[in-house]
Amino acid sequence: MIKRIVDWIDERAHIRDIYREQMVEYKVPKNLTFPYVFGVLALTTFAIQIISGIILIMYYKPLIAHAFDSTNYTIMKEISFGWLFRNIHAAGANFFLAIVYLHMFTGIYYNAYKKPRELVWIVGWVIFFVLLMTALSGYLLPWGQLSYWGMIVTTEIPMSLGDAPILKGLLGAIGETVSIWMKGGYKLEDLALGRFFGLHVLFLPLTLLLLIGIHLFLVRAAGISNPDGYEIDKKNEPEKVVPFHPYMTLKEGAYTMWYLALFFFFVFFHMSHFLPADNFEPADPLKTPPHIAPEWYLLGFYEIFRSIPSKFWGFVAFNLSLVFLLILPFLDFSPLKSARRRPLFFIMFVVLVISAIALTILGTMAPTPTNAKLGMFFTFTTFLFFLSLPVISFIEWGWYKAKGGQS
Amino acid sequence: MEASRRDFINVAIGGMGVVGALGVLYPIVKTLAPSAASSTEAKVEVDINKVPELGIRVTSFKGKPLFVVKLPEGASQKFSYKLNESAKNSAGKHNQEILGDKNVFALIGVCTHLGCIPLWKPQGADISGGNPAFHCPCHGGFYTPWGDVIGGPPPRPLWVPPQKLEGNKLVVGEPGFVERLV
Repeated sequence: MIKRIVDWIDERAHIRDIYREQMVEYKVPKNLTFPYVFGVLALTTFAIQIISGIILIMYYKPLIAHAFDSTNYTIMKEISFGWLFRNIHAAGANFFLAIVYLHMFTGIYYNAYKKPRELVWIVGWVIFFVLLMTALSGYLLPWGQLSYWGMIVTTEIPMSLGDAPILKGLLGAIGETVSIWMKGGYKLEDLALGRFFGLHVLFLPLTLLLLIGIHLFLVRAAGISNPDGYEIDKKNEPEKVVPFHPYMTLKEGAYTMWYLALFFFFVFFHMSHFLPADNFEPADPLKTPPHIAPEWYLLGFYEIFRSIPSKFWGFVAFNLSLVFLLILPFLDFSPLKSARRRPLFFIMFVVLVISAIALTILGTMAPTPTNAKLGMFFTFTTFLFFLSLPVISFIEWGWYKAKGGQS
Repeated sequence: MEASRRDFINVAIGGMGVVGALGVLYPIVKTLAPSAASSTEAKVEVDINKVPELGIRVTSFKGKPLFVVKLPEGASQKFSYKLNESAKNSAGKHNQEILGDKNVFALIGVCTHLGCIPLWKPQGADISGGNPAFHCPCHGGFYTPWGDVIGGPPPRPLWVPPQKLEGNKLVVGEPGFVERLV
């Protein structure tokens, strides 16, 4: 009976053909390493966020008079299992960013941003940026002390333009306008909450969905990169590829299970990491909580911003670090791919990883003079990574030519 | 047909998948369950001394208006009505057969025609022969104080919720002299 129903559908929709073409006849390099799984894990987390978000939006009220209570009473106490979906959504946001960072470092390590995959990287960067916006807007919604003051600090950032060495008046006016337009007025109130709510639940997730679709299409179009850094000719080197199904589906399915186990371990037993106690106090516009720092996924950028003595140049530096990430495929124009075959690149990759970790840790610490100097140092090494890429590429072009154009 | 190892693995993985899917669906479906706050509406206590004689007190039971009616002693004999004989409650009786010997009882205050809330007319109307009655303003249904249909379109008497008398308290929502909703 079921077979007859599937046959009936298949005759009209040709799903079996699509399945065979897209899953079995789609071949991927057989030497893909563990880090290649992060893409699937990010997709899994996105699905988790959508499902838990749909449940939360049914009970959340985007008005400052009700936002805190609807989150912490209606959802946490009144609705059966409401606490579970809030925990999942809050932990999911952190896991999403963590997985995306690991995915990005994987891409950098294996040079998965290079020709023909520049667009994959650029669209991926936009996904990362939209994801940060989503996290930031969602963080405001519970309307606790950390939510409120986190957003106050965020809306103050454009004001740094007022410290510019030139065009002080103009840039300052632009910064203030941006800041006021973000809030819908001088105060952070219902208008701001309403627009961040709208962005968080509709515009940004839809944008993410679209971008992820494009990202996956581009991955298919350009083919998955290869840890060894050689492009595989799927037709002439059949021994180097395997069918996507069942080889990758099973391997990634197994890793997804382990990931979910870890995820739900945190959801059920260690939520204090993701729902800090300070945020269970309603927002008070007249009292800043004593310990306030951005969420860990922003700390690196925050530390770059903070460690530079001038607010304006801090603003420029942290924007520049984002822009450098975006134009990575063009900074690194070497013909060689994958850190496995590029010793100079590998050294600089290690520098980047250490700098990113160090900046994140420094972001949690008090801004003592020593820490500020360390922050400056690691900001410098972060930029050193990006600026070394053209130099390394130049050297590697020399090696490439010396070998007669063979990589 | 012999079961192979592959069959075993397929069934085991499929079974785990089903358990996982159920584990996900259970809390999702449960979020739609009635809240604890709404279940407090399922039991109402009324102090009968505070209801005036030949008067009603309106409160709420499971989200619907609840009429607590207090009639003088012997009201069953004193007031006589010409009932719509075909309009019986779900126990196949007239409400008065169940409630006639009580002078305090509760009715669900929703007209059984199309859901309006009837008005209490202690001085009655022509159709009730001047005896007290409920009158639904929407389409002119008339009920006796026990909720039986005197005239108009209502197809059945007013609903009677389960209720019991505990001293001065009428407890609606727990079985007593009315066992279940009729």
